[in-house]
Amino acid sequence: MSVTARLGGATLFVAAVAATAALIHFAVVLLVPIVATHDAYARLADLGSPGATTSLPRAGPDERRFPWDDPALAAAFCRFDLSAGPVRVKAPVGRAGFASLSFHTRRGAVFYALTDRAVTHGRMEAVIATPAQLRQLVAHDDEDDPSQDLRVVSPTVQGFVIMRAFSELPSLYAAAADEVKALACVTEPPPS
Amino acid sequence: MVVKALAAGAIGLALGIAASGSILADPPFGAVTIGAWRVFTKAGSLEADPYTRAALSRSGEIPLALGEGLKLVARVDSAGRPLDRRCLYRVGTHTPAARYWTLSLTDADGYSVENAAGRYGFRSSEILRDGDGGFSIYVSALVHAGNWLPIGHVRTFALALRLYDTPLAASAGGIEKSSLPTIEREGCA
Repeated sequence: MSVTARLGGATLFVAAVAATAALIHFAVVLLVPIVATHDAYARLADLGSPGATTSLPRAGPDERRFPWDDPALAAAFCRFDLSAGPVRVKAPVGRAGFASLSFHTRRGAVFYALTDRAVTHGRMEAVIATPAQLRQLVAHDDEDDPSQDLRVVSPTVQGFVIMRAFSELPSLYAAAADEVKALACVTEPPPS
Repeated sequence: MVVKALAAGAIGLALGIAASGSILADPPFGAVTIGAWRVFTKAGSLEADPYTRAALSRSGEIPLALGEGLKLVARVDSAGRPLDRRCLYRVGTHTPAARYWTLSLTDADGYSVENAAGRYGFRSSEILRDGDGGFSIYVSALVHAGNWLPIGHVRTFALALRLYDTPLAASAGGIEKSSLPTIEREGCA
């Protein structure tokens, strides 16, 4: 075998390795969110059943489920499932300090968020709906007395809502933790 | 020939999987570096790139929405040297405008580190400030006067700065380097 033929064979081999590696790498990156069994939603599913409001464990050295959680914030969550109808989310806010709601898809991405700057009647409130449910809701609206609801379309049928409340001092953490417990996520009857 | 092709496939498979693991631990796109700080402006949004999305699925992090605030992470000091537990760092003296901010210390994966003082971070609302409203947080394994953030027993650590309800959220790409706190290494044991 000549030197050039050997070199050509080696180059081809390296190119084949690189091409396979690149292909596998892209496949892994695209598949990870779909096959991940330990993503945020799965970790939350271990803690609370759908529709129920559950407090998130406070960030600390003994808590290794949700990385980058802030020990200064109390948080609670509910998982939602829109297959039985839209879900109304209510979060009373009556405390000094920052509070917020974030709405996440099944994969964890945020599709909507509200802060306590949007408080009306002492609470943050929104209705989560699928695109089809939103069309139904709009079709049933009274033209003369339109609904005041904030309607948010979820890209996925399942997902979760997180309520966060900031504690201005360590001693105020308990009050923030109490506030987030009042988060409520209730399936609405379909419009009739 | 067939053997060679199979070998190339096997090596490629192993390389592809190994590379994915390390790349997803620190996704390559979407991060803006400002001084010592890195911020993923689209992390957790629907527009996040596939790498950032995959990294989020793997870590299990519940991301902050842009409208809630921003999280910036430093793994190096302001001179670009990796944070070292044998050193004393002074973090200060100001932050970009935000209703509240917190500075906390975590291990490389973003979890709080056990320490005897039970102190994992500082809030803007509890911190001791100097005469003109600035602050200094001392990050050190050894006890330090003032705002002391203990390093605890960990090999590598990171600092997380969170800005809650900040006007920056809408334009995270435009954070001025001079508006962020610096991380000065004051000395090493």
